[in-house]
Amino acid sequence: MVVIKSSGLRAALKIIIPFIAIPALVLIGVYVFEDKMYAYISLVITILSIVLFISGFEQRKIGTRRMVLVVVLTVMSVVGRFFPLIKPVTAITVIAGIYLGGEAGFLVGAISAVISNFFWGQGPWTPFQMFAWGLIGLIAGLAAKPLKKSRAVLLTYGALAGMLFSFIMDIWTVLWYNNGFDVKLYLAAISTAVPMTVVYAASNVIFLFFLADPIGRKLDRIKTVYGI
Amino acid sequence: MKAFDSYNPIVLFVYFLTVTVISMFAFNPVMIAIALVSGFLSTLTLAREGCGRFFIYAAFIFIVTSAANPVFSHNGVTVLFVMNDNPVTLEAVLYGVAMGTLICAILMLMRIFTKIMTGDKMLYIMGSASPKLALLISMTFRFIPLFHRQAVKTERTQRALGRYTEENAIDTIRMKLKIFSMMTTWGLENGIVTADSMSARGYGTGRRTSFSVYRFRRTDAVLLAVLAVFAGTIAYLIATDAVKFSYYPKMSGIAHTPAAIVCYVLYGLMCMLPVMNELEEKIKWRYLESRILGSPIR
Amino acid sequence: MEILRVEDLRFAYQISPDKQALDGVSFALERGDLLCVCGATGGGKSTLLKMLKRELTPLGKKSGRVLIGGKSPEEMSEHESAATVGYVMQRPEQQIVTDKVWHELAFGLENLAVPQKEIRRRVSEIAGYFGIESWFEMSTDELSGGQKQLLNLAAVMVMQPEILVLDEPTAQLDPIAASNFIATVVKLNRELALTVVIVEHRLEDIIPVSDKLLVLEDGKVVSFGDTRDCVGRLIGNERLLRSMPAAVRIYAATHDISKNTFPVKDTDEVKQGAPRTDTDMGKNSRLPLDVCEGRSYIENNFGNAIRSESVTDAEAPEGEYALEFKEVYLRYTKDGSDVLRGMDLRVRKGEIFCILGGNGAGKSTAVSAAAGLIRPYSGQIKVFGKKIKDYRGQELYRNCVAMLPQDVQTVFTEDSIDGRHPYDLSGGEQQLAALKIVLETEPRLLILDEPTKGIDVYAAEQMGKKLRELADSGVTVVIVTHDVEFAARLADRCALLFNGEITSCDRAKAFFSGNYFYTTAANRMTRGFYDGVVTSEDAVRLCRLNADKQTVR
Repeated sequence: MVVIKSSGLRAALKIIIPFIAIPALVLIGVYVFEDKMYAYISLVITILSIVLFISGFEQRKIGTRRMVLVVVLTVMSVVGRFFPLIKPVTAITVIAGIYLGGEAGFLVGAISAVISNFFWGQGPWTPFQMFAWGLIGLIAGLAAKPLKKSRAVLLTYGALAGMLFSFIMDIWTVLWYNNGFDVKLYLAAISTAVPMTVVYAASNVIFLFFLADPIGRKLDRIKTVYGI
Repeated sequence: MKAFDSYNPIVLFVYFLTVTVISMFAFNPVMIAIALVSGFLSTLTLAREGCGRFFIYAAFIFIVTSAANPVFSHNGVTVLFVMNDNPVTLEAVLYGVAMGTLICAILMLMRIFTKIMTGDKMLYIMGSASPKLALLISMTFRFIPLFHRQAVKTERTQRALGRYTEENAIDTIRMKLKIFSMMTTWGLENGIVTADSMSARGYGTGRRTSFSVYRFRRTDAVLLAVLAVFAGTIAYLIATDAVKFSYYPKMSGIAHTPAAIVCYVLYGLMCMLPVMNELEEKIKWRYLESRILGSPIR
Repeated sequence: MEILRVEDLRFAYQISPDKQALDGVSFALERGDLLCVCGATGGGKSTLLKMLKRELTPLGKKSGRVLIGGKSPEEMSEHESAATVGYVMQRPEQQIVTDKVWHELAFGLENLAVPQKEIRRRVSEIAGYFGIESWFEMSTDELSGGQKQLLNLAAVMVMQPEILVLDEPTAQLDPIAASNFIATVVKLNRELALTVVIVEHRLEDIIPVSDKLLVLEDGKVVSFGDTRDCVGRLIGNERLLRSMPAAVRIYAATHDISKNTFPVKDTDEVKQGAPRTDTDMGKNSRLPLDVCEGRSYIENNFGNAIRSESVTDAEAPEGEYALEFKEVYLRYTKDGSDVLRGMDLRVRKGEIFCILGGNGAGKSTAVSAAAGLIRPYSGQIKVFGKKIKDYRGQELYRNCVAMLPQDVQTVFTEDSIDGRHPYDLSGGEQQLAALKIVLETEPRLLILDEPTKGIDVYAAEQMGKKLRELADSGVTVVIVTHDVEFAARLADRCALLFNGEITSCDRAKAFFSGNYFYTTAANRMTRGFYDGVVTSEDAVRLCRLNADKQTVR
C-alpha cells in the first residue's frame, strides 16, 4: 500500500488535490475530449461530489454501532431480492435516511450500488448509480420529519425516487451518447424506460408500505436500548 | 512478466481507468474499431466463462443504440430516405453505428474489469483513499453470505412450523416479507455484537492504517511508467487534433498522418496489453514445463 | 506480580437502576492466572467481564475500582485500553468484522494505526502460532464455527493483550471444537503467562485447568480462591454444585462416608509442568476435579464388592412407531456424496429418543428429512405409519410434526413475546420461548435439533423437565444432540449416527455403558470398576452401597 509517511507531504497533498489537481483534470479533459466534454464534465462532477461526501464521512466520527447499522441495512438491501429485477434498495435507502440521518441514507444507497455492481458489472455507470441512490437517501434524511409523519408523503416520495433514479441515469446516457443534451433524445430515453420506471416506482411504494413501519420500529428500539 | 491480474491493484485500476476514459470519449472510427477488436479478444482470453450469452446481450444493445440515433437525430447532409416527414441521413446512421460499437466495446472492457478487479482489489484501492469506506464495504461483503444463509435457515424453520405456504402468490409474498422483517431484526440485533467486537479491538480510536497483502513491486512500477508514457502521448495527440474526426454535417476523412498512426498503434498496444500478457505467459509456461519435464532425461 | 485488582465494584444498569447487577465485588489476580467465573445466569458474570473492558461498559451507575496493572481503565489512553484487555464473546459469526482472514487478523492493529511493516510481521507471527497459515487467504465465511472462534481469538491476541477476557467462548461450538478452543487458551496461558478470565456455560472441562475460581450469585462473590479450595467451599450449596464437574458432584455426595484416602499427588504439576504456589494441602486439596482424579477417588475410597445396582430392566417399549426411516439415502447435490447412507431408524410413540453423533455425521440432515424439509432419493420415511410424501399441503405440520431448530432465533416472527423482546431474553429463556411457540401446533412428534446448545445446566434441566412432561402426555420426542450428559439423563433410547447410518441403538443406560469414548464423565470414571453407571447419581448410589457394606463388615 502506498502510505505517505511525511505528514507535511500529506497536508500539502490535501490542498493540492482539491485546488490544483482537480480543476486541472477538468480542464485537460475538456481540452482533450473536446468532442464529448459534456459527458466528461458530468462524469467528473459526479465522481467529485461522491469524493467530497466520502471525505466528509472519513473525517467525522460516527459511532461504531451506527456504522454497523448502516452495514446491516446495506446488506438487507442487496440480499433482499424478492423477484428478479425487483429490489428493495430504494426503500431501505429511504428508511435508513429517515431513521439514521441523511449521511447514513447516502451511504446505504451509494454502497448498495457499488456492491450490486460487483455482481452485475461495474462500469462508468457506477458513479451515477452511487450518486442517484445516495441522493435519494440524503434527501430522505433531510426531509425525515414530514416523511415520518405522513404515510402519503412517504409513499409519494418512494414513487418519485423511483422516477428520479431513472431520470438521473438517462441524463448521463443522453450526454454520453449524443455529445450534449438533447431534449428529444432524453424524452425518448425516458419513454423507452417507462415500463422499468413504473416497476421501480411501484415496487418502491409497495416496499415502503410494508416495510417502513416495522423496520422503523426495529431501528427505534435498537437506538433506545443500545443508546445510539 | 506475470499474469495480468497479479499486478498491484492500483496499477490495474489505473490501466482500466485510462483505457476506459480514452475509449469512452473516442470519436475516431479507427480507435473505435481497435476498442471493439481488443475488447472481443480480451473477453475470449480473460473472461471466457459465459461469454456467449454476454455477446448476445451486447449485440442487442448494439442494435438498439445504433438504430436510435437516425430516428432522433436529423443532422447530416446525405439524406438516405424520408421517414414520417423526417430525413434519415447517412451521417446519423454511421454515428449511431459508431456509438453502438463503442458502447459494446466499453461493455466488454467493463466485464473484464469486473472479472479482474475482485472485491479485495477494489477494497485495497479504496483503503488507500478512504479506509472507513473500505471497511464499510469489506463488512458488507462479510455479511452478505452470512445473511443469505440465515435467510435460508429462517425459511426452513418457518416451513417446518407449517407457516410457510406457497399455495398462492399472495401467501408467498406475505411470507417473504415476514422473513425479510425477521432478518432485519436478526441483523440489527446481532449487529450490536459486531459493533462491540469492533470497539473491543480499538475501532474508532482515531486515524487507522489500512493493511493489505498486496505489495508494490518493481514490475508494477515499470508497467505504471509505460502506461503513463502511452496515455500521455495519446492524450497529447488527441488534444492536438491529430486523430480528429467529425460526423456532422459531412463525415471527414480518417486521419492517416504519421502522428495519427502513432496514436493508433499506441492505443492498440494499450488495449491489447492484457491479451499479450496472457499469451506471453502461456508460451513461457509451455517452455518452462517442457524444460521441467525434460530435465531428468537430459 | 498483581495484574488485576477489583475493589468493591458495584454496578446497576440504567434500564433497571434499583437492581444491583454487581454488589461489592472484590478480588485480585496475579499475572498468569487462569480465572474461571461461574454462577447461574443473571448472577452478574457477563456484567463483571464487561467492567474489565472500558469500551464495552454498558450504560449505568458504577462505583468501586478496577485496576489493570495498577491503572484504572479510565486512565488509559484509547489505544492502550483497546490493546491491554482482549475480549472474545459467544457468537463466533458476529464477532468477525471483515471478509478475509488476513484482514480480520490485521483489523485491531489497523485501528491502533500500527505501521504496515509492523502489521505484516505481527500478523504472520500470530498466523504461525495459531496454525492458520493454510486458511490465511480464505474468506472468513468459508470457515467452520470452531475455526471462526479461533480466528476471533487470534485477532485479539495479535494486539498482545495483558489480560484475555472470554465470555462463554465455546457456547456455540460442538464438543470437539470447544475442547480445541480451551486447549488453545490453556496453551496461551501457560506459554505466554497470559492472564485469562473466562466465563463458561459448562464447567466440566474448564474447572480442572483453571487456577482460580470466582463464584457469583446475585452480583455478590460467594467464593473466590484457588480452584480446589473454592470448589470445596461450595459443598453444601446444592444449587451451585449442580453445575460442577461430575467428579466434584460425586465427591460432594460421598465425602462424608469416604475414607479420605485420595492420594495427594500433585496432578497439576505432573500434567501442566507448572509448579503450584499453593502449599495448603488440606482436606480440600483431596477434592477430585476431573475424570482422572475422580476415578482415583472412587477406587481408593470405596470397594467394588457391589458392581451394579439390581435394577429390574424395564420392558422394551412397545407400541406403534411414530417415526420410521427405512434404508434412507440422501444427498444434496446430484454429484455430491451421500449424507445419509441407508439409514434405518424406528422411534416408538411416546418415547424420548436421542440421536447422537459427531460433526458431519448427518444428524441435522436426518432431522430435516424427518420434518419433511428435504426428500431422500431412495428409501422411505414414515410418520405415524404414513409416508411423508403422502401428507398433502400443510397436513404434516398440523397437529403432527414440529421442529425446534438449532438456531431458535429463526422461530421468532414477532418482536414481542409476553411483552418482552425475544432478543432481550437469555439463551436459555430464548430456547424455552421458542419451544413454546413450536408447541402451538400441538404436535404429536416433536423434533429438536441441539436443544441444549449454548445454555447452562439450569436451563438444560428446565428443558429436560419440560420434554419429560411432554413425553408423559404422549408426545414423541426426537432429539439430535452432542450433549451426552443431557441425553443420558433424559432419553429412553439413544442411537449413534455415524457416516450417514445408525451404528448402534439401545436403551440409554445400555447405550452409554457400551460406549468407550462417546459417553458421560461418570461412566468414564467408573468403567471397569462399576457396571452400568451413567449419571453421577448412579455412581453416588453405588459408592454408598459399597461403603455400607464395608462398615457392616
